[in-house]
Amino acid sequence: MLAKLIVSFAYLLDSSKSYKRVKSFAYDLLENEKSKIKPYFDAFIIFLVILTVSILIYDIAHHLSYHFEIIENVAVSIFILEWLGRFWIHDDLRYLIIKYHEEQLELKKRPKFIDIIKIIFRQKMKYIFSPMSIIDLLAILPTYRPLRILRVFLIFRLLKIFRYTKNINIFFKILSEKKFEFNFLFVIGIFAVFMSATIMYVFEGIGNNPNIKSYIDAIYWSIITISTVGYGDITPVTLTGKILTFFLVAGGFGILVLATSIVTNALSDKIEVVRENQLLSKASKLSELIVVFGFGRMGMALCSELHLDKKNFIVVDNSDESIEKAKELGYLYMKADAADYVAINNIVFRNDVKKVVITTENDALNLSILLTIKAEKSDIEVIVRANNDENRKKFKIAKADFIIFPYETVAEVAVEYIGNAVKFDAIENIILRKSDITLDEIHIFDGSSMVGKSISEIGLNKMSITTLAILKNGSSRNFIFNPDCNEYKFEVNDDVVVIGNKENINTVKKSITRQFT
Amino acid sequence: MMRIVLFGYSKTGREIAKLLVGAEYDLQIIDENPLQVAKANEDGFFARHSEFRDDSMLEDVGIGRDVEVLFCTSTNDSLNLFITLSARSMDKKLKILTLIYKKEDEKKMLLAGANRTISPYNVGALKAFRIIDKPKVSEVLNLFTLQSNKLSMNEIEIPKGSILDGAYFNDLTIFREYNLIFLGILDRELGDKFIFYAEGINHKIDENDVLIILGSKSNIKKFKKAIA
Repeated sequence: MLAKLIVSFAYLLDSSKSYKRVKSFAYDLLENEKSKIKPYFDAFIIFLVILTVSILIYDIAHHLSYHFEIIENVAVSIFILEWLGRFWIHDDLRYLIIKYHEEQLELKKRPKFIDIIKIIFRQKMKYIFSPMSIIDLLAILPTYRPLRILRVFLIFRLLKIFRYTKNINIFFKILSEKKFEFNFLFVIGIFAVFMSATIMYVFEGIGNNPNIKSYIDAIYWSIITISTVGYGDITPVTLTGKILTFFLVAGGFGILVLATSIVTNALSDKIEVVRENQLLSKASKLSELIVVFGFGRMGMALCSELHLDKKNFIVVDNSDESIEKAKELGYLYMKADAADYVAINNIVFRNDVKKVVITTENDALNLSILLTIKAEKSDIEVIVRANNDENRKKFKIAKADFIIFPYETVAEVAVEYIGNAVKFDAIENIILRKSDITLDEIHIFDGSSMVGKSISEIGLNKMSITTLAILKNGSSRNFIFNPDCNEYKFEVNDDVVVIGNKENINTVKKSITRQFT
Repeated sequence: MMRIVLFGYSKTGREIAKLLVGAEYDLQIIDENPLQVAKANEDGFFARHSEFRDDSMLEDVGIGRDVEVLFCTSTNDSLNLFITLSARSMDKKLKILTLIYKKEDEKKMLLAGANRTISPYNVGALKAFRIIDKPKVSEVLNLFTLQSNKLSMNEIEIPKGSILDGAYFNDLTIFREYNLIFLGILDRELGDKFIFYAEGINHKIDENDVLIILGSKSNIKKFKKAIA
């Protein structure tokens, strides 16, 4: 009976749109690295942590008015809500319950209450005992007044800050890769401490040295000496003790130097990975990212145009030289083997990518990138460079949206020069963007003030803007060449291709958006 | 028949050669690499091998005499420069078009005597950029540049005694009559600079000026007859 109730409740939740909306909002706020609101929320929580910790520390020696207690209580309630929120969005229980129910239906069994509880319990326990959840819980605990001892856990609230800073996580990850070296140093250090402490205790602990009263004192002395801190509250008095100190200081120095070099080494080894991770996360926040594979001559020329036009793009190349150049120019880059699925997955599929340009000089590689992308997401527009005439057909079969064979294009322009030098200049000026005259397109949206008006009514011809053609519904199959200034009236979804002065065209475009109602 | 010399059977050279088959052209291909020469011959062109040690080879192919156009399309940048310079010193009127691989090389080539430079990577990159930036514009451009289409872009030189001689083009309605788009003009009075209609200056058309117009091939033919 209870089981049935839970199952039907799960179905109810699954069909509710507002439930899903609220949950996805909570996800954006708490966990979604790509969301725009999360950084603000994180900053707010960090602020709360610092504020409450400062208040608690001040409160140890001073007495604060109850106002501060209110702040503390509000902050802790927010922490609790945050934890509950994470507890809630950690998984989608309703799916699991529905799945369980459907399995039972197939087996012609009735859902059992105990099974459902097990499913819920298993999932939620997983969250409760995850390291991050434990940190969050420990951060809430110190507020519980009767347990004054829990004040020590105050420090855990500071740990909470770590969960919001990615860099620290990466730092710990890098260090954990050098586990072997650290373990080795640790064992050596422990060995040196205990050996020297024992020797010290044997020679000076029997009354020679008034400061060493117990074995603990000897260990304390040993640690203070080996770490080169050297307070000087316990100093050796016997010759043996002094000789021992020489070795201990030398050894301690060695261990410190080694430890430092391990950390710096680990960091310098991984600094590229860290930087690339940062670039990737930067890329993931950009919308309509354009991915350019290959940073050769063509890729470079393309990127400089994209850069001029302030488009979001990322360069992917395998050679150090190219990556170095991209770095110098300040572009987003990723050093990766484009034949590798993981690289394409990280860069193309995980981000908001609608357009990809493949420009390497290797047709086989181009084809492989093209196929990988098209197999997974066929709606991404792929522009691919062909390097050999014979391979163009293959790109077509692989469903490339546009194939660019630069040698042919350049040959067509070059041959034009023989007979039609003036035309060559005209084309060159427009195509190579050498003058202020440019070709542009204006899309007519539904509700635009241009709808129903003629070219001269909008004043295009007064500004010396010529309308070359109008594409109906965006298709070049259905177009009107050289529409009449007075007769043609613009319709919704027309794409108007014009030639004219850049500034004039921009003025027209602006005036259209302004009148847009 | 126009005599054309093409140095360097590179990928670009090959594509140019493919476009220059026909009775009106007499094409000679030369390459420093015997393999490329063999490839050219295989493709059905007449090609020769030469190492370009001195100018005698340039004289052999007819530069300085009846060759009108020279394409320097070798994959070797310095060789392109060397040939451009040598050919220019032999013939002041020769049309030389040189391939460059980097934008920075353009000035150098022009200084060496090339009339125009062109870079496949730049052209390819800009084509890709236009598809990204202005897809509709690139579709319309395709309508004019593809050989198979009915529409084309043409240049028309104003003949002596034409009805257009002496007219200001803001007054003209003849383009609308033939459904043509007037893009711009090469005005001999203002030096050999190409002026776009879109620059908004009202020019007087004189004989020998060159008009660039867009339109269907049949209309352009009729227009040519009408203005003669």
